[in-house]
Amino acid sequence: MNFDENMSPFQNRACGFCHMPYAGFSGPIPSVNLTMVAYPGSFEFRAGKRTAQRYTYAPNFPVLNFNKTQQAFFGGNFWDSRATGYLLGSPDAEQAQHPPVDTQEHALPDTACIAFRLSTAVYRPLFETVWGTGSLDIKFPHETETICDTPGGASIFGTDTMPIKLTPEDRTIANNVFDHWGNSLDQFEASTDVSAFSSKFDEYLAFLAGVAGATNPMTPDEIAGYNLFKGKGNCNSCHLDGRSTAPTPPPPDGTAPNSTDTGVTASTAPLFTCFGSANLGLPLNPRDAIYYQNKPDFYGFTANPDGFGFRDLGLGSFLRGVAAPNPNSDWTQFAPTSDGQMQTSTARNVAMAPPACGSTEAPGPYFQKEFFHNGYIKSLKQLVHFYNTRDVYPFPVTSGHCPAGTIEKVNCWPMPEVKNNLDMTVGKLGLTDTEENQIVAFLQTLTDGFVTPYPDINTFTGTCTTCNPATDPNCSPSRQGNGSLIPTPPLPPCGSDICGVAPVPSPPIP
Amino acid sequence: MNKLLLKLAITATAGSLLSSNPVVAQPSPITSKTARVQITQGPEIELSKESLTIITWTSTNPGGTDEHFGVVHYGTDPNSLTETAKSHIRLNPSHSSTVFRVRLDDLKPGTTYYYTVGSMGSNGAADGTKSTIKQFTTTGEPQRAGR
Repeated sequence: MNFDENMSPFQNRACGFCHMPYAGFSGPIPSVNLTMVAYPGSFEFRAGKRTAQRYTYAPNFPVLNFNKTQQAFFGGNFWDSRATGYLLGSPDAEQAQHPPVDTQEHALPDTACIAFRLSTAVYRPLFETVWGTGSLDIKFPHETETICDTPGGASIFGTDTMPIKLTPEDRTIANNVFDHWGNSLDQFEASTDVSAFSSKFDEYLAFLAGVAGATNPMTPDEIAGYNLFKGKGNCNSCHLDGRSTAPTPPPPDGTAPNSTDTGVTASTAPLFTCFGSANLGLPLNPRDAIYYQNKPDFYGFTANPDGFGFRDLGLGSFLRGVAAPNPNSDWTQFAPTSDGQMQTSTARNVAMAPPACGSTEAPGPYFQKEFFHNGYIKSLKQLVHFYNTRDVYPFPVTSGHCPAGTIEKVNCWPMPEVKNNLDMTVGKLGLTDTEENQIVAFLQTLTDGFVTPYPDINTFTGTCTTCNPATDPNCSPSRQGNGSLIPTPPLPPCGSDICGVAPVPSPPIP
Repeated sequence: MNKLLLKLAITATAGSLLSSNPVVAQPSPITSKTARVQITQGPEIELSKESLTIITWTSTNPGGTDEHFGVVHYGTDPNSLTETAKSHIRLNPSHSSTVFRVRLDDLKPGTTYYYTVGSMGSNGAADGTKSTIKQFTTTGEPQRAGR
C-alpha cells in the first residue's frame, strides 16, 4: 500500500512518493529538498508546508498526552503532533490517514476512496486475508470513480467531506477499511524493514553490553562526538540516548570529549527523542511552497489565502483546532505556551542517504536532504552550527537579508519565524568548528544498515549532487544550499485565521 | 478543508470522555530537587544588541522537572522590577550544573535596566536561587520622551 500510486486522484501519488527507504523514508528528491521543501501533490500545482518526516521509529511515539508534572505535551505524530493516536491507539497509524485526504498531498476527496481503490488493487486478496473476508465488500455508487478522480477541495464539492453517497452500513465498512489502512502502514513502519535498530551505534551498545562477537565500531572522532552530544552539546537533554545519568568522568560540565563511557544502559533501544516539542527559532524559509498558493487553482481551491502572512505555529495551531481537530478541549488553553513548538524528531537516521551518494554533506558527491520542519537547514554541519551559534550571530533580518560582510548560516542567523516560547537550551553551546564536525560524525553513526543491510537502501534512481569547491563558494557543508537563498519579501502581518484564533498567541505575533 | 473532519469530530466527543492520563511511556525522568540551588557563574550579559538581550548564569542543577524556566525580573527602577522574562530550558539530569539563558526582546535602546535572576520548574515552583540586583545598559541612542 505504501508504494501504490493509485491512492490519489491522478494515480500518481503513493506514500512512498514523499517517503523513500534510502532517506529513512523521508523526502527522496534532492531538488525538492533544496528548494520548495514541501513535495508536489497529486495535483502538481499544490504542495504542503513542511518537510516529509522519516518513518523510522515513528511508531514508537506514544499517544499524545499532556504530562501534568512537566506541564508539556509528549507523543503524537507529525511536526505539530496532530496525529494524536486517540482513536486507533497509535499516532503513527493515524498519521497514515492524513495525507490521503490532504488537499496538498494525495488529495483524495473522500476517505472512502481508499476502500474504493483497494477494492480493485492487485493485492486485494492479501488485504482480505489480513482483515477478513468481506472487509472490502462495499456497494459503491456508479459516480465513485469520477469523484475519486477529482482532487479534494475542488469547488464542486463545496463543504461536503463525504461526496460518495454510501449506505450507513457501507460507510462504516469504508471507515473500518481506512482504519485498517492506518494500522497496516503502522505495522510496516514498526517492522525491521523500516525501524531496524541496525546502526553503528546499536553495534556499539551490543559491544558495551558484552554481546558475544560484538566489537567496538566507533572511531575516536565518533566517540568524541558522542561525548560532546552528552556533554557540552547538551543534545541528550532532548534527544535521549538511553545511557545512565551517572557518566564518568564526573561533571561539572558533562563528559569531556576524550573520556571513556563507563555508564550503564538505562534504555536498551534508545530512540534519541523525548517525544516532546520545542521552538528552536528557525527562521522563516521564503522558498517554502506554501507561501505561493494564495490564489484559486484550476479546481477553484485556494490552499493558503494568507500568502506570506502564514506563520507556522506548530503545536499551538493544532491545539486551537486550526491545523486539525483537537480531540481534547482541556488542551486548548495550552496553545499560547505551545506556539512555535515542533516535535523533537528522533535523531536516528537523520544522516541516512543512498550509499551511492556517500553522505548528506558537500562537496560530495552527496545527497541533498532537508532538515527541521521547514527545510531551512540544508546539511548536518549547518544543523549543529545552528544549535551552537543561533544566539551568537543573531540579526534582526529575514532570510536573504544578512548584512554585507556576513554569510547566512555561517555568521548570520536571521530572526526566528516565531519568537514565542523560544527554547534557550540551545543557541550558544561554545563548540569549536572541530567539535561541531565530531558531533556530525556521531550523528552519522545513528544510521541503520550497519549491523545488517537496510532493505531497499539502493533504490535511488536519481543523480547525486556534485559541486566544485574551486569554482563554487557554496560548495561546503557550511554553505551548501546558499546558492538557492532568495530575499524574503516584506512580510504582511500574521493572518487572523492563524494568529487571531482564541486563545491568541501571547505576546501577539506580528 | 480536511476530509477527516467528520470522523475526527466523532473522535472529539469520545476523546473528552477519556482520561487525560493514558498509560504511556514516561519520557522525562524527574530528578530530586536540589536543597540549595547556588549560582556558580554570572549572571552576566551574554548578548546585548538594540533589539535583543540575553542574560545568562550557571547554577547547580536544580533538579525537579526536566521542563524548566530561567526567569529574569527587571525594570528601569531598581526598587520596582515589574517586568518578567521567562525562557524555556531543558535540564540534563546527568549534568551537575545548569546554564540558564533568558531572552529579553524589545528593550528600549540606550536605557539602563536593573534585574535579578531565578529559575523555576514547570509547575511554577521557584528553585530558591538567591540573586543580587544587577544592571546593564542597552546599546543605541535612547528614545526622546514624547516620541
